Amino acid sequence: MQRLKAGEVNLGTSIMAVQFDKGVVIGADSRTTTGSYIANRVTDKLTQVHDRVYCCRSGSAADTQAVADIVHYYLQMYTQQSGIPPPVHSAATLFQKLCYENKDSLSAGIIVAGWDKEAGPSVYNIPLGGGLFRQPWAIGGSGSTYVYGYCDATYKEGWGEAETVEFVKNTLSLAMSRDGSSGGVIRMAVITEEGVQRLFVPGNELPRFWEGKEVIGVDQEKQSQPQAQQMEVEV
Amino acid sequence: MQINGGSVIAMVGKNCVAIASDLRLGNQALTVATNFEKVFPVTDRIYLGMAGLATDVLTLRERFRFRVNMYTIKEEREIEPETFAHLVSSTLYERRFGPYFIEPIIAGITSPAKGSKPFIAGADLIGCLNFAKDFVVVGTASDELFGIAEGLWEPDLEPEDLFETISQTFLNAVDRDAFSGWGAIVHIITPEKVITRKLQARMD
Amino acid sequence: MATPNVYRGTGFDFSNHNRNEFLSNKGFPVPKAQSTGTTIVGCLFKGGVVLGADTRATAGPIVADKNCEKIHYLTESIRCCGAGTAADTEFTTALISSNLELHALSTGRKPHVVTAMTMLKQMLFRYQGHVGAALVLGGIDATGPHLFTIHPHGSTDKLPYVTMGSGSLAAMGVFESGWKADMERQDAVDIVCKAIEAGIFNDLGSGSNVDVCVITPEGTDMMRNYRKPNERVQKERNYKFRPGTTAWKKETIRKLVVEETVTYISGNAGTTAAEGGDAMDTS
Repeated sequence: MQRLKAGEVNLGTSIMAVQFDKGVVIGADSRTTTGSYIANRVTDKLTQVHDRVYCCRSGSAADTQAVADIVHYYLQMYTQQSGIPPPVHSAATLFQKLCYENKDSLSAGIIVAGWDKEAGPSVYNIPLGGGLFRQPWAIGGSGSTYVYGYCDATYKEGWGEAETVEFVKNTLSLAMSRDGSSGGVIRMAVITEEGVQRLFVPGNELPRFWEGKEVIGVDQEKQSQPQAQQMEVEV
Repeated sequence: MQINGGSVIAMVGKNCVAIASDLRLGNQALTVATNFEKVFPVTDRIYLGMAGLATDVLTLRERFRFRVNMYTIKEEREIEPETFAHLVSSTLYERRFGPYFIEPIIAGITSPAKGSKPFIAGADLIGCLNFAKDFVVVGTASDELFGIAEGLWEPDLEPEDLFETISQTFLNAVDRDAFSGWGAIVHIITPEKVITRKLQARMD
Repeated sequence: MATPNVYRGTGFDFSNHNRNEFLSNKGFPVPKAQSTGTTIVGCLFKGGVVLGADTRATAGPIVADKNCEKIHYLTESIRCCGAGTAADTEFTTALISSNLELHALSTGRKPHVVTAMTMLKQMLFRYQGHVGAALVLGGIDATGPHLFTIHPHGSTDKLPYVTMGSGSLAAMGVFESGWKADMERQDAVDIVCKAIEAGIFNDLGSGSNVDVCVITPEGTDMMRNYRKPNERVQKERNYKFRPGTTAWKKETIRKLVVEETVTYISGNAGTTAAEGGDAMDTS
């Protein structure tokens, strides 16, 4: 049913969001493609739609940007009129409405995640047809198909921030290594009540624990894995 | 473009411009008329040539006549060639998603107030302007015209030299095109006068 | 046909669409619009932004324009390179330029580059890719220099160096190997020029000359035909025809200068009007 328009800019993506006790961790690869050409290798697919609400975009770049822009606008209006920050569920519902009502002309798979006073941390998945599903963790994009098993087997309830970040990082690395339309760097964000922390893993420092010591070398395996770095954010 | 056939060319000379079209009107391979001029006067100093679907050539001739008349009445002055080129361009782009099947060429001399400078411009069917300094060509013989004009045109040709160059370019090009020909008409526009000549050409 | 009302509605007119569909269904090829199978690039440097473009316009395999201008004016400090359907890039940038001018007039401030970017992306998204404009947008505003690419479907990217058009791969190769952060103005102009030349020489859809535009807080420097690596050599011989080469059947001459001969009826023949004729009563 859903097909990309000819010459469309595609986010052939790996995106992810995971809930933990104090907040959510979201992450994405950074590859944008037109056919086989990488139009942008450092894309930021994690788009802020409000102070504590982000969305992870997959599918058509144009469609998801347009939808995110509209939701961003509505959430600003909402805050101005009600005087309180919007619940994540409201943001997710807005996304869902737009995606469902325009399902014939959109190709957008979106994960909405964030923190609010009522529900605390929450993750919503809005796949292609415009459904809305709350999940403890969600993955999306073309790369996600390769790592459903890994996520099912690895995810445990009750993790803290550090373990969750590690889970997102490892999952995305696995997805990016198998999926040709995903790649580049890993961009992440940790959304808690206190604020949003942006993290970044360069392409040459991605986890490769699954590759075995024949490939990595014995010495390198003993070295501690580099941690995700603080990402520079434009204000 | 290949339904009715036809070609138009315009060239710049020294203080003059020339514009020429063939006279054939066809219904695919069948020649229907041999007196179908594709160049029309817009003002004393501006000529408009159109190649393409004949019905659109006639429709647009009338639409441009109307719009130029409205311009003249409102502005109380004659339209400048460049202004007219933009008028043509926006008229065509209005139909971006259902275009007229013609490609226009504008040739003229600016008003004495603007220095009586030669001006030519071409456009594609959706109005993308091409302000050339040498020559512009459109129509079924455009490929041939491009090649010959590229070889024969030179800067600063006097009106009579320009007539020979544009005529030879045009006649030799349309002889290699099955859809254009059957005579040609050439207008040489100078600040003082417009010379119009009908040329003999192959009748096959 | 000429309609009785002078003022037609604004926007596109689709009334020929059905006829044209009929024509193309009967097997008549739809005439090709001019396109700019282009190389366009942009690059940020210390305190400013440089835009570059080649100057070839094509219609299928034919070079339609050897020296066209692809760096379009949006505002004094915001410019936009266009690739794709030539008429679309021309008219979208012209429309957004007008709207930015109105925006500046109504707000009393200089427009931001993101404002231009948002206006362009929303227009292109509305037309779902049918307006075939691929753009490189660059400029300076109150918040500093900015550089964006806008794809025909309305997606945008913000990067320190960008390329678009059919020559984008060749040009990106130059940037990926030679680009550095915070370059000096001349170094930035040089790498932009090199990137465009890579497109001109290695991409068939690009050619002719290099246009460069440098935008800094001090002002905008539009360098049309900054490099001309493809100038034609002087013709060895000229091909002027001998007058009379072309035979014509009929000639008509329309004189634009009205000639008058003045014949004096009264007064002394042979004297000038000032001496002889009676002064006309012009009261």
